[in-house]
Amino acid sequence: MRWKRHQLRDQGEGTHGIDLAPMLDFVLNLLIFFIITAVFVKEFGLAVNRPGGQVQPGSAGEPSLPIQILAGGEILIEDRVVDLRAVRANIERVHAVTPKKGVLIVAEEEAQTGLLIQVVDQIHQGGVYDVTFATGR
Amino acid sequence: MLIRRHTPESEDHGIDLAPMLDFVLNLLIFFLITTSFVKETGVTVTRAEAMLVEHRDTGNLLVAVRENGDIWIDRRRVDLRELRAIIERLHVERPDDTAVIVADKTAPAGVVARVMDQIQSVGIKDISLAATPLGGR
Repeated sequence: MRWKRHQLRDQGEGTHGIDLAPMLDFVLNLLIFFIITAVFVKEFGLAVNRPGGQVQPGSAGEPSLPIQILAGGEILIEDRVVDLRAVRANIERVHAVTPKKGVLIVAEEEAQTGLLIQVVDQIHQGGVYDVTFATGR
Repeated sequence: MLIRRHTPESEDHGIDLAPMLDFVLNLLIFFLITTSFVKETGVTVTRAEAMLVEHRDTGNLLVAVRENGDIWIDRRRVDLRELRAIIERLHVERPDDTAVIVADKTAPAGVVARVMDQIQSVGIKDISLAATPLGGR
């Protein structure tokens, strides 16, 4: 009896059972879709130049405004210690007088990158996008 | 004979376009994946926060700098001296790359500067420092 049933099913193969192939195709497509969307890493960043790059410091004919970042976290603009929140105002003032002037950040080797990025952000907020990053001690 | 060839029964002799379309679609998706595959760095770092960040969609070349100065690229830790060769290889694969340095908040600025130099020496001009957007943007 059992054998007979199997035989019957075999004979009716392909017409009665659910066809799995299109479902498999669809699942594979879904899988690929999710792989794509997971791989698209959204990266946000701030553009910074290095001396010797395409944009030389002071390429616009103006010497750059130097900003020093010390290892201890102090920020110096024209040899004056300023707070991080005051960087923007200082940049705005300089930018209003000499709009073509770029900014040269001279950071100490041990200075923290987080502070550097915050300073670059402040400079961008002040309206200057020509930022060059150098290290020195 | 001639009449029989045009009867509706012989309809299933023509090429079925549907599977070919599926296949072509899969090919398209496959090439989409391979071209946009981001080389992940393999480490998680705490990024600095910044207000004015730009979205780097073609920032495929990611270099991570950890808080202790370790450099990670393509899911492994590398020495500063091997970095140039690796970047060169990745740059040849996709010459229109832009580079994003994913540095930890507390990473030393000197290492970041040297990594930038290595990237620049390969010929990549568009280098940016990764930051997380501040506020719900």
